[in-house]
Amino acid sequence: MRAESESRTPETKSVLVAFACSLGYTEKVTFEKSVRLGLLALAVAVAILLLATGLGGEMALFWAFGMAFGFVLQRSRFCFASAFRDVFLLRHGRNLKGVLVGLAVATLGFGVLMSQQVPFPALGLLPQEANVLPLGWHVVLGGLLFGAGMVVSGGCVSGSIYRMGEGYIASWVSFGGILVGLLAAGYTWNWWWRVQIADGARLWLPAFIGHGGAIVLTMAALVVIYLLLLWWESRGGLVIPDREFDAGNEETFAGKLNNTLRRIFVHGWPAAAGGAVLGGLNVMLFTAAHPWGFTGELSRWSIGFTNWLGLGPGALAGAADLPGCTLEVGGGGILQHMFFLVWGMVFGSLIGALLAGEFKIRLPRQRTRYLQSAGGGVAMGYGAGIAMGCTIGAFFSAIPSLAVNGWVFAIFLAVGAWIGVQIIQRIQ
Amino acid sequence: MSFRQLDVRGEICPYPMMKAVQALKKLTPDDDGLQVITDHAPALDTIPTQAARLGFQTEIEETGTPEWCITIRRAP
Repeated sequence: MRAESESRTPETKSVLVAFACSLGYTEKVTFEKSVRLGLLALAVAVAILLLATGLGGEMALFWAFGMAFGFVLQRSRFCFASAFRDVFLLRHGRNLKGVLVGLAVATLGFGVLMSQQVPFPALGLLPQEANVLPLGWHVVLGGLLFGAGMVVSGGCVSGSIYRMGEGYIASWVSFGGILVGLLAAGYTWNWWWRVQIADGARLWLPAFIGHGGAIVLTMAALVVIYLLLLWWESRGGLVIPDREFDAGNEETFAGKLNNTLRRIFVHGWPAAAGGAVLGGLNVMLFTAAHPWGFTGELSRWSIGFTNWLGLGPGALAGAADLPGCTLEVGGGGILQHMFFLVWGMVFGSLIGALLAGEFKIRLPRQRTRYLQSAGGGVAMGYGAGIAMGCTIGAFFSAIPSLAVNGWVFAIFLAVGAWIGVQIIQRIQ
Repeated sequence: MSFRQLDVRGEICPYPMMKAVQALKKLTPDDDGLQVITDHAPALDTIPTQAARLGFQTEIEETGTPEWCITIRRAP
């Protein structure tokens, strides 16, 4: 194992070379162990796709979407926790710029879709599936808890899900914490509904300034944030650029194919590329069903299970009538289409990590890390429960929904992340 | 050449970077630099920048799948 890795030069190692060779060369084809496992995992994923097709077309579709999301998250290491955190911790906006690119792509796509769904927004109708959610203190507290929780645990919900696929055991602990936090939110939902959510205004920008106005305003706000970020970075000191892709200079077909494969499967993607692809996938998912988001589904597991035991929160007032990632009471069995989306994300990330040689079971040595992951997870779960979404549902899919709640959540997410930075700097 | 060693394998984000910065600040004039062993890929982007801001330059060597050794020495 050791000898094998020493004989390799970085970035040119890939066994994908061999794959390229297999198309035109007669040399003996060898695959590294992690790539063999990655291809095996891909075969298993295809088998699950076929089984899911048997269960119903929607399940297969969501499995495929989940895999695509997980793969892109892993390849671009798209991490909302670091996007917000690094602005404060490092004065560095690389990941936040990627998020802004994704928001811009999704805003254009969502804008077109919603203008077809609701041609006359001034009449007061809302697009049925878009994440336009009631405003109130629950969004503020939810954003703060989520922002602090994701920094303390080292990843938001989507970040934890893709790191589960990369073999980070602490992320599995975070995931458990998130399920517990969502259940806790379930127990307090009816109180929040009574005092805040039921009367909260659902402000959808096109209702006030039309579709075009709302899209232009949202895009302008994204550009302003981008410029602010550049100014903030310029005061932070020098930044070493990401490692460059080490392209081979072979002009043959196999050489070129090998470069392409390494660019996609081995070398990490720039955050902006990841953001653009995720934004595009989000538009496709909205076209097929509804915007990307999954904390509603996660709540269905923990609330549904405890309800089944007779210990759960019971009925959730008004929740069934709200879109997005609002808490769900469960029922109808575990195998539903969103179940396939969540585990598809884990599997897509696992395949991406194996093919890139980045999979490893990672166990933190300090016991504090497990407490941090669990505690941060519970805070995120509770925050996502009352704010009706995580960094995806209440933010990455809400701002493109041209909904005011997306911006309110984003502001307090940033404040929460700042609080989280203060906390982790005090935990060694 | 004497390099301090820092093994942050298994650590969660962003501790590999934070621990590396802490170790760099503790280097004495006798140390030539620091070697960080990590299995956390995002650290390959964050550590070089933080090291540069403290006046160091870095070199990354891939030592396993996935494992890297980041050599950090004082910029001349």
